[in-house]
Order: sequence, then structure tokens, then C-alpha cells
Amino acid sequence: MKQGLFSQFTLIFQLGVRNLWRQRRRNTILLVSVICAITGVVVLNSLIRGMQAQMVDQVVYNLNGHITLHAPDYRSDPAITRGFIEDSEAFTRKLESVKLAGWASRIKIPAVVMSERETRGVQIVALDPAQEHISIVADLPVEGTFLASSEDNRIVLGRALLTQLRTKIGHRIVVVMQDIDSKSIEVGFQIAGVYDSDSEGMEKHVVFVGKHTLQQFLGSESITELSLRFNTRLIPPDGLEAISKAFPNLEVVDWKNIDPILAFMYESVNAMVYIWLAIVFTALVFGLMNTFITAVLERTQEIGLCKSMGMKSSLVLYQVVTESLIIMLLGLIGGLLLSWGVLQLLGDGIDLSAFAAGVEMLNLAPKIRPAVVWQDINIVIVATIFLALVASLYPAIRAVRLDPLVALKD
Amino acid sequence: MTIDILRLSNVSRVYGKDATQVRALTDVSLSIAEGEFVSIVGPSGCGKSTILNMMGALDQPTQGEVHFDGDSLSEMSRGELTDLRLQKFGFVFQAFNLLPVLTAAENVQFILQLLGFARRERQSRTEAVLDALGLADVADRPATELSGGQQQRVAIARALVGEPALLFADEPSANLDSTSTRELCELLRQINSDRGITVITATHDPLVMSYTSRSIHLEDGRVVEDKSNL
Ligand SMILES: Nc1ncnc2c1ncn2[C@@H]1O[C@H](COP(=O)(O)OP(=O)(O)OP(=O)(O)O)[C@@H](O)[C@H]1O
Ligand SMILES: [Mg+2]
Repeated sequence: MKQGLFSQFTLIFQLGVRNLWRQRRRNTILLVSVICAITGVVVLNSLIRGMQAQMVDQVVYNLNGHITLHAPDYRSDPAITRGFIEDSEAFTRKLESVKLAGWASRIKIPAVVMSERETRGVQIVALDPAQEHISIVADLPVEGTFLASSEDNRIVLGRALLTQLRTKIGHRIVVVMQDIDSKSIEVGFQIAGVYDSDSEGMEKHVVFVGKHTLQQFLGSESITELSLRFNTRLIPPDGLEAISKAFPNLEVVDWKNIDPILAFMYESVNAMVYIWLAIVFTALVFGLMNTFITAVLERTQEIGLCKSMGMKSSLVLYQVVTESLIIMLLGLIGGLLLSWGVLQLLGDGIDLSAFAAGVEMLNLAPKIRPAVVWQDINIVIVATIFLALVASLYPAIRAVRLDPLVALKD
Repeated sequence: MTIDILRLSNVSRVYGKDATQVRALTDVSLSIAEGEFVSIVGPSGCGKSTILNMMGALDQPTQGEVHFDGDSLSEMSRGELTDLRLQKFGFVFQAFNLLPVLTAAENVQFILQLLGFARRERQSRTEAVLDALGLADVADRPATELSGGQQQRVAIARALVGEPALLFADEPSANLDSTSTRELCELLRQINSDRGITVITATHDPLVMSYTSRSIHLEDGRVVEDKSNL
């Protein structure tokens, strides 16, 4: 009986291929549109996924890390009084079991900077350059020099702030801030260097000083945040919980909390990928169905003949479905190959710098690098096969319902 | 003693409903014995195709019963009827017979594939039948490139290849000239006598009728004459 099924399958496949070939012009058009649709879905999804990945990278990379730890009341009133003591040994021990790219301890407090001519409000970020390989700080292009160590007593500003303050590298500026007793203090810093950033907001508002130096001025051993970066793009499933357990007295904030709008966009992208797939495939299903209905109508007599001679209804059904499957699988292979080619060409990323303003507003990098998510490809594969079945089912049922006698009448 | 392979009992077939009703067959009862070569004759519209379709399990009577080998067709499911047609019957239709996307040989193999024969068996059987019918030369030609006579012969080859008990041919000579018709009739006669297959053909061609051993005359859906030509 196995042999029987095989020989019937051979017949169905042979008829399918020949019938598709007979209408090769029409079916080529159909095949091309399937290839285009699949390529469109895969390429666009990869770009969307690339964008999504960059969104995360951006937040994680920008001085936040995947997870930031604060004293519980720090976020409502960011001041050195709301800090906590850095105990490197304890931190290292607690973080041993978590797969981190690294961690950095910082002080972030508001301050006012004054040059001879201008005054501006800023956020002071006091750090230890040795820990900052996990953040954007390591890669910032700097004119002059960056801070050499935690003990460095100079300051690094953004280019935009330097312009606003109308001062220069090597000049001194005064920083006004509150110390551990909530008293205002004024400290003079020499400008060591100026950094450039894609974000004008960062250039205007973020200034860097040495952590140890600042602690001396503030009269405190405290830090205000501990920033963690995992060695994966996203926080591993149990990562957040493990950290919360390790630091029960600190507030644990993940990147989604740090940038809720971005987190929302990130989640929306997941939906977007599927909505886009659904739209394209819905459009396709009608084109396919139409083609297969036409094919069945054209072959009324042939189908009638097959049925009169004793072809089972199930085989009549498979015959139409097989044609659909052949087209869709060819389209799938072609579409995936074409997508691969297109993605290869786009490998360096699409340059969006022409729309720089809008791009910055959306917190996107100026270049979008496509990222292939295999799960998305799997969904495309499953959806294509599903589509092949759905689109051919109605035409196939029409073929099954044909009365062989009526069909055979010329 | 001869066995009845087909029996029609009080078979009527009415097409349509109410005002547009057509009585294509009225109260036909007859038996066909194994090994007969029967022609069903009569003017156009008398019900020849209709009765052939009833016998061939392609259509069901409105009234009455058709028995094949003692089994009532009306008691069979659609799937069983399909299987019956595949396994016991061979068909040659009037005009449209071959699948245009297949070659002559593939059209013949078609039945063997439905029957589930292995490749080698299919090929040897097909070759044998095509040889026997003098079609070896055209075996690999697409069906669409064959002449009318060749197409009918390929159709007969296909009807034979599954070794059916019964062969139905509805006006097989309709599109043929008299030479081809003669060849075709010779072939049918040979099939009937050499292979013992019961052949039933509908025709209005006296030439075809003259080859058969029994002719059933229909008029207005009724049997008006049923005679042996021997
Ligand atoms: N599907 C149908 N619906 C309605 N009437 C039909 C149908 N099929 C056949 N008829 C009618 O039934 C009668 C018998 O038709 P049938 O096809 O059996 O005749 P026939 O003897 O085969 O004629 P021909 O020699 O022209 O093939 C005719 O009056 C025909 O119009
Ligand atoms: Mg007829």
C-alpha cells in the first residue's frame, strides 16, 4: 500500500508541475510576486529587528547598562545624600554568578557649570574610566584628553556645552553642587577635553569628572549608581531576579524602566513584525486563490475526466493543493535567497543621516543595520506553507465538488 | 451458463425539476452477460449516454436499480463507486479523453499510478498495451500532438491497461473517418474476444453497430429493440 501511495504521489506531483508549466507566464508572475512578498517581509523585518536591537543597544550603551541600581529614594531626588557605599569586593562576589560584560559605579548628580561668560545646568557623571569599557564613554571621540583615572581632577565636556560656555580646552570652569551636608560648594576644574556625540542633548548636559576626585569634594565615600551590562543583547530571563536578590536594599531599574517610551517602541516592534507579515500575506492570499480558482475552472474537463476514471476525491484535492505548495515553496526558496542577497548588500547598514533630526528624536542610530531573527524566518516559513494550504483549499474543494458528467460535457 | 455482469431493473432517469423536467430514461430493464460486445443505438437525445453513465457508475438512476456483479450500486458510497470505476471499468469518452499535459504513455500509466503499481510494473504493462494497439511509435508524444484516431486508441489503451471487467465507449467513432472507425471497431472486437472484456458502446453509427454481437435500440428513453447480431 505504501508503494501505492508513492505512485499516486508521483502522479499528483507530475500533473502539478506540468500544469504549472502549461500556464508558465501566469505562474511566473505569481511566483515573482510571492518572491517579492517574502523578500519584502524578510528584509523589512530584518531592518525593523536591526532598529529594535539598536534601540536596546543605545539605551544600554548610554551610561545606563541593562540594569542600574540606586538607593531607593535616589530617583526622586538625585543627590549625593541618597548614595550608597561602594564595596567592590562585595559587589564582585555578588555578581560572580551573573554573566556580565562588566559593571561600573558612578555618581550622577545635578550641578551648575560656569565659565567666565555663561552658566549652564548639567548632570555631573563621576566615574572611574577603568570601569567604563561597558559604556559609550570608552568610545566617545575626544578632543584633548579624557580623564586618566578616578583621581583625575580635571573635567570633560560635550562640544555643544563648550560652545555655549564660550570657553576652551585648558581653561577652568567652576562647578556648583551640593555636598554630603546639602551645602552648596563651588569647585574649579580644568577642561581636559571635549567629546562629540550623536546626541546633542548629551553633549549639552553630561559632563565627566573623576569619581574619587568628586567624592573628596563632596565629603563622601558614596556612589549613586551601579550600572550593569550583561554579555548578551537582552537581559537573560532570570537576570533581573538574580540581581534583585543579590542587592535587596537597592532599587533595581532595568533599561525598560529607564526609557519607558523606548521600551514601548521595542514591544510594539514585535507586534509590527507580525502585522506587516499579516498584511502582506493577506494581500497575497487573494491573488493566489484567484489564480487557483482560474486554474480549476480552466481544467474543468480534465478534472472531470480524472474523476470519471476513478481518481479519488482526496487526490483531486491534493492535486490543487500540490500546485499551490510547489509555487509557494519555490517562492519561499527564491524569496529567502533574494532576501539573503539583499541583506548582504545592506550588510553595512542603511544610512539615515539625511534624516538625522528625526532619527535622533526616535533615539535611533543614524545607520540601521539589519538583524536576522531566526524565529521570524521560521514564522515566515510556517506562514508560507499555511498560506499555500489556505489559498488552495477553496479552489481544491471546488474541484472536488465538480460533477464529472457536467465537467465532461463540452 | 453465462453470468450477468450488469443488470438494470426498472431504471429511470429524470433530469431537472418540475416544468423543465426531462425524462432521459424510462423504466429500462436489461441484463448484460460477461463477455458480451454490446452496442446501444438510437437517434441523438434518445438516452444512450444517460444509460451508459448509469451502467458505468458515473450517475445514479432517479428510480430503479443497477447491479454490478450482483452488487447494487445505489448501496455503495461515492468513494466505493470511484474505486469501482477505477478497478473494474474502463472508459473511452466521445471527445475529451486525454490529459493534455501528459504524453500518450503517461496517459496510459495514469490508471496504473492511481491503482498504485510500482514503476517497473507500470512501464512494462504500458509498453505491452501500447505495442498491442500499434501505438509504440507515438508513446512519448504529447497527447495534444496525436491525431483523433490515435487519441481514441490511446484512450482505449488506457481503458485496457488496468484489466477492467467492463469497457464503456461513448460514441468512440464520433470524430473519426470510416477507415479509422473500422480500425477502432476491429480493435474493440479483438479486445472483447481475446481478453474476454465485456464491451458496451453507445453509437449512432451503423458501421459500429455491425461489429457488435448485440444491439440495444433506444427511443425516447425506452428500449424498443434488443437483438443479437450473430
Ligand atoms: N444534465 C442534463 N440535464 C438535463 N437534461 C439532460 C442532461 N443530460 C442529458 N439530458 C437530456 O436527456 C436526454 C438524453 O440525453 P443523452 O445525452 O443520454 O442522449 P444521447 O442519446 O446520448 O444523445 P447523443 O447521441 O446526442 O449523444 C436528452 O433529451 C438530453 O437533452
Ligand atoms: Mg451521448
